[in-house]
Amino acid sequence: MKKHLSAKTKWLIVVAVLLAGLLTITAAVNRGRPGESLIQTALTPFRSAASTLVRQVERYYDYVFRYESLQAENEELKRKIIAMEEDVRTADALQRENERLHQLLGLSQEHEDYQRVSAYIISWVDSSWKSAFTIGKGTNSGIRTNMVAITEYGQVVGLVTDVGPNWATVTTVLDSSLGISATVASTGYNGVVEGALATGSEGLLRMNYLPTDSVLRNNDQVLTTGSTVYPRGLIIGYITDADFDQTGVAKYALLKPAAELDDLEQVFIITEYENQ
Amino acid sequence: MFKYFHLTKLQRLGILKWSLYGLLTLLVLLLQTVVLSKHTGLASKPALLPGLIVCVCVREGPEKGGAYSILAALLWCLSGADFGNLSVAVVPVGAMLAAVLCRAVLTLRFFPTALCCLAVTLLDASVIFAFKLILPPAVALPNYWRVLLPAVAAAMVFVPIHYGLVKLISRIGVHDAL
Repeated sequence: MKKHLSAKTKWLIVVAVLLAGLLTITAAVNRGRPGESLIQTALTPFRSAASTLVRQVERYYDYVFRYESLQAENEELKRKIIAMEEDVRTADALQRENERLHQLLGLSQEHEDYQRVSAYIISWVDSSWKSAFTIGKGTNSGIRTNMVAITEYGQVVGLVTDVGPNWATVTTVLDSSLGISATVASTGYNGVVEGALATGSEGLLRMNYLPTDSVLRNNDQVLTTGSTVYPRGLIIGYITDADFDQTGVAKYALLKPAAELDDLEQVFIITEYENQ
Repeated sequence: MFKYFHLTKLQRLGILKWSLYGLLTLLVLLLQTVVLSKHTGLASKPALLPGLIVCVCVREGPEKGGAYSILAALLWCLSGADFGNLSVAVVPVGAMLAAVLCRAVLTLRFFPTALCCLAVTLLDASVIFAFKLILPPAVALPNYWRVLLPAVAAAMVFVPIHYGLVKLISRIGVHDAL
């Protein structure tokens, strides 16, 4: 076999290894691969066209094959809306009371003013160990790194981790590399939410560093506490399970992400906000 | 236009062939990143490009195929592939060795090619997994057979399609060369 390995082939093997080494070194030094932005920019029109085509096919498929289930879902949602309208009426009364109490105590009203840019997802990272996607807008639309991506309902989707002129990479909350300071809405327990992809719980989040004596209930809502990156009060997910961590000192909770990432087509990037 | 560049018919067919390989690579990359990687709940995401690269390299030989495999792996890496730097070395080297092996010991038929595709895809995924085991946030070892092996198996489903298309494209210009 050795005689079949020509000098040219040997050179090509050396080139491949050197290229990989060079890419690794430059990526480590510059925190990005050289030429990546150029390739991503060039690929964006193709990805946009392909994702538009896929969306149309999926919509047609849903219309043909999922009509009955969608109808049932619609009925269920109508029932939920009626129940929620009643909740809103109660909440309105409570809010008025809250406002009165705020005025009495002289507290400032919390106001979060989001400036949002909408963008369609054009491709997903093809690794089993990373959860991220590319959107078809970038610096030309005012998007920068460390901006938060949310759904139209204010559910956290992820964080912009890389950006080019007409594209941006959003790492989702499912990825183990993200850590979000969070609070349990009903009880106020604080913790850090991370993706559970690395631990083998695909599709779930893990809220760490909860107090040992914390009482956690299923379906409790978990929100962002607010930081320089994440605005306050965005919905991260709902508690599905809880247990003590390996040390036995702190508790952790498993969360179902609020945003349905599998069905996601469009996201909103918060370009400006005020945390008061 | 080709007359202007003083190209022979064989050269023109060569350009057409490699353009089609390029188009096929782009289509597979789009299929991999736009369609198959979408569902985050299903952790196993198949990597189709190593299989295609091996098919082309085996068909075209370790020299021309090797140059193509470096460019295709580079495109994959720079399109945002996770740990794509490693694939730039692993996939082309694996594909070139597969091409040499098929020509020296095996044949260019489907089964030896598919076997080489499996070996290179598994090797690439395993090398990335080894780094993911070490580097934080580290992945758990059971994910190797729970996530990685199903992803490789899913990628193998596409190999007959890659093989068929590559075989068709590789025939361009063969009769003129003879």
